[in-house]
Amino acid sequence: MSNKTERAVPITARPPEVEFRGAQDSPDTSPHVVPLPVASPYQNTSPARPQRTRPRRGRKPRKKRKRAKSGGEGIVGPYPIVPQGTREAAFVHAISSAGVAHAITRRCSSGELDDCGCDRSVRGVTHQGFQWSGCSDNIAYGVSLSKRFVDARDRKLVTRKKKAGHRVSSRALMNLHNNEAGRKLIEDNMRVECKCHGVSGSCELKTCWKAMPTFREIGEILKVKFDEATQVQVKEVSGRPELEPNQQYFRKPTEVDLVYVTSSPEYCEYDINRGSLGTQGRRCNKTSRGMDGCDLLCCSRGYTSAMERVKERCSCKFHWCCYVKCRTCIRDVKVHTCK
Amino acid sequence: MAGAIIENLSGRKLGILIMFLLLCQVVCFLVGALIAPAPSSVLSVLGTKCVDKQYSREKWYYPRGKGRCLHRISDPQDPEVAKQGISANHIIFTFQIPSPKDNQVLDYSRWQQNLIAMMHLDILYKEEEAEFDPNALMTIEARLGYRNKGDPDDRWTEYATSTEERILDCSISPEHRKAEYMYNCSSVPLFELGSLHHDFYLLNIRLPIHTPKEPRDHPTNVYLGALTDMWVAFIHQNGGFTKVWVSLKTVFFPTIVGIMVWFWRRISHLARPPLLLEYMLMVLGAALTLLNCPLEYLTLAFDCPWMTVVSDIRQGLFYASLLSFWLIFTGEHLMDDIERNNVRAYWRHLSAVLGGCLCLFIFDMCERGVQLSNPFYSIWVTEIGTNLALAFIILAGVCAGLYFCFLSYMIWKVFINISKKRQSLPAMSSTRRLHYEGVIYRFKVLMLATLLCAAMTIIGFILGQVSEGQWSWDENIKLEYTSAFFTGVYGMWNVYTFALICLYAPSHKRWPKDQDTQSSTGEEIEFSRLATEPSEMSSITGYVTKAATD
Repeated sequence: MSNKTERAVPITARPPEVEFRGAQDSPDTSPHVVPLPVASPYQNTSPARPQRTRPRRGRKPRKKRKRAKSGGEGIVGPYPIVPQGTREAAFVHAISSAGVAHAITRRCSSGELDDCGCDRSVRGVTHQGFQWSGCSDNIAYGVSLSKRFVDARDRKLVTRKKKAGHRVSSRALMNLHNNEAGRKLIEDNMRVECKCHGVSGSCELKTCWKAMPTFREIGEILKVKFDEATQVQVKEVSGRPELEPNQQYFRKPTEVDLVYVTSSPEYCEYDINRGSLGTQGRRCNKTSRGMDGCDLLCCSRGYTSAMERVKERCSCKFHWCCYVKCRTCIRDVKVHTCK
Repeated sequence: MAGAIIENLSGRKLGILIMFLLLCQVVCFLVGALIAPAPSSVLSVLGTKCVDKQYSREKWYYPRGKGRCLHRISDPQDPEVAKQGISANHIIFTFQIPSPKDNQVLDYSRWQQNLIAMMHLDILYKEEEAEFDPNALMTIEARLGYRNKGDPDDRWTEYATSTEERILDCSISPEHRKAEYMYNCSSVPLFELGSLHHDFYLLNIRLPIHTPKEPRDHPTNVYLGALTDMWVAFIHQNGGFTKVWVSLKTVFFPTIVGIMVWFWRRISHLARPPLLLEYMLMVLGAALTLLNCPLEYLTLAFDCPWMTVVSDIRQGLFYASLLSFWLIFTGEHLMDDIERNNVRAYWRHLSAVLGGCLCLFIFDMCERGVQLSNPFYSIWVTEIGTNLALAFIILAGVCAGLYFCFLSYMIWKVFINISKKRQSLPAMSSTRRLHYEGVIYRFKVLMLATLLCAAMTIIGFILGQVSEGQWSWDENIKLEYTSAFFTGVYGMWNVYTFALICLYAPSHKRWPKDQDTQSSTGEEIEFSRLATEPSEMSSITGYVTKAATD
């Protein structure tokens, strides 16, 4: 797991045990780098406001489900910390499904998972298939597994409701959309590389393959999508339930846009039932006018300032492979904390 | 080449023949589109980082199976790794292919023909200064081994080993200059195998920081920065494609051999010695037969790393003879009343073809020829090699340009002469008129067919470059465009050569006396033009009188 706090997920209990080896590690590559510079002290302070910080690594909802079941609640997902149906839940769903796809793809590529499929359909005649036409990119399997697995609960909900002729839950539809958006983002951001190997190495014959971006990149893009998320509601369009923007003049969200159905609660005060931990004790940026600025973050309650001496590694030199040479710097910084 | 079959064939028979050839062409295209899979596919493998502090060059490191390496690391930048005293020399990137799928151990089949490996490094951007040079020179210690089905898990046999240098080519856009973003590095070629003879392959790669042979002041691999992962894309030809391809060859090979035998028997029945054009047709047929020869069957039984080189040479020979044929065909139809009928008359034009082919041959031998002894070799990795390769390619390009100048000039001259002769045609004697009409007709038909084939090839190629390789008709019918292009073009040039040999063979019409004895073999040919048709004798007399009047 990453050494950064995972605030979007329940902090009450550790996941029991890991079923998938593939999900154990962070899908990102280097979780243990040198400590973060002082420039971002708003990150690991309070578990509230997950959206305003670094994107978190993907988590396997399977673990959450197990945990939730053992708690007797039967709820999938990052509740109660992140309220259902909100912008934050949208982000969590998207990044979870993207994380599953990313982690599985990586494990498949390194050959650590035996049961990766040879083609997108997950099943197939593998041995003859491989010798006849080769296997598809591993991302195809990663995405299809994520689809089968992360979407399972909401998909079941939707089909059951549809069969019974009830109105389809907008929350389930929203979750499905956001899950798909996370996966689609990975697929859209794959780098394509090609090699020419025709006669005498000419480009008469060219073979291309896809390479995955780092998970950090996906996280950053999702963060932008989070800021641009659209509030939607379910509308019946020719017999099929579809998500449409609340405001008429808003454009219809695309496949890779995040959507939500309920507004987020006020995160200023502590209210665990509504999923807010309050902003008391959060560090803020005095000069910023954005969400991390002291005025907004502290909800006009004011802040205290104090000088702190920070010891950190600086002017590091990385050498291939495992050798980091750093100096230790001591700095005095002014820290602002919300009241 | 007076009196070819094409002049004497009735319109109906010609139509039937053309329809039949077009049908063959469509079948070739559809075989590629519907039956064959894409020509090649890729296994992208993430290297497993095995650690061995007592690294030895004789030991194999592999991630799966009995005796696999147990000490692995996932992230070299982890402080734990540094604490354990692990250095770059102890880390071996291992790639065991093919990777298992669906709980099955996959193995390569000999139908898959060849294997190309491209290496890609994941280097992270660090906010702090990393010792990183975007164009650093890497020193790679690579070892390739193989194992076959039935062998124990740990019996890897060495196939090739080499210490290679490759130049990184990395960049990062300013908006991605954030921690944990990746540099955008282009893939570097690692190795190419001309045969995929064994079932399993294992690649061990080390990026040592200095080798004992070298003094410390010449540092190796110190500017690689925060290298976290190594990916290798293994490209192989698809077994299905090879099967379809070899089947096509198996059909074409006897067909072309058959038509050549028929053609040569026709020529040898003539009283005169064969003309230059007839020799050229035989050469073209021979080159195509060489290309058609399904040598690929040998790879199923024997290890043939030279197969790619041989198929390059075969293809080159075919193109060379095709280009030479066009040149000589145009030259022989110039109608400027100069007796050529000799290769020596074309030495200037042909030297352009020969020069170009020779350049490409030398380039190919420098790249793929050397790869026979060291699969990790690539001419493109050193500066001198790159310049040399570029020089050969540019020279070949110059030759190609020269060739097209020659050819266009000759074609232009033919057209000038045609329009000149057209004006004086009504005034000529019937023998001469028919002679010239025949020449013009033959030339125009070939021009049309050639332009059509060349245009189809070029259009097909461009379509292949812009499209995504697979076209969907509907849900169930998927067209594999790249394969269709290959089988289509291959079939087209076969059909083209077949038609040429068949239609430009001498007609029986020129030896009316022999007609009774020859009718058994030539009964399918209908002679639409009768007594006025010049016999061989009359065409020669016509030629003499024409030369005299001119």
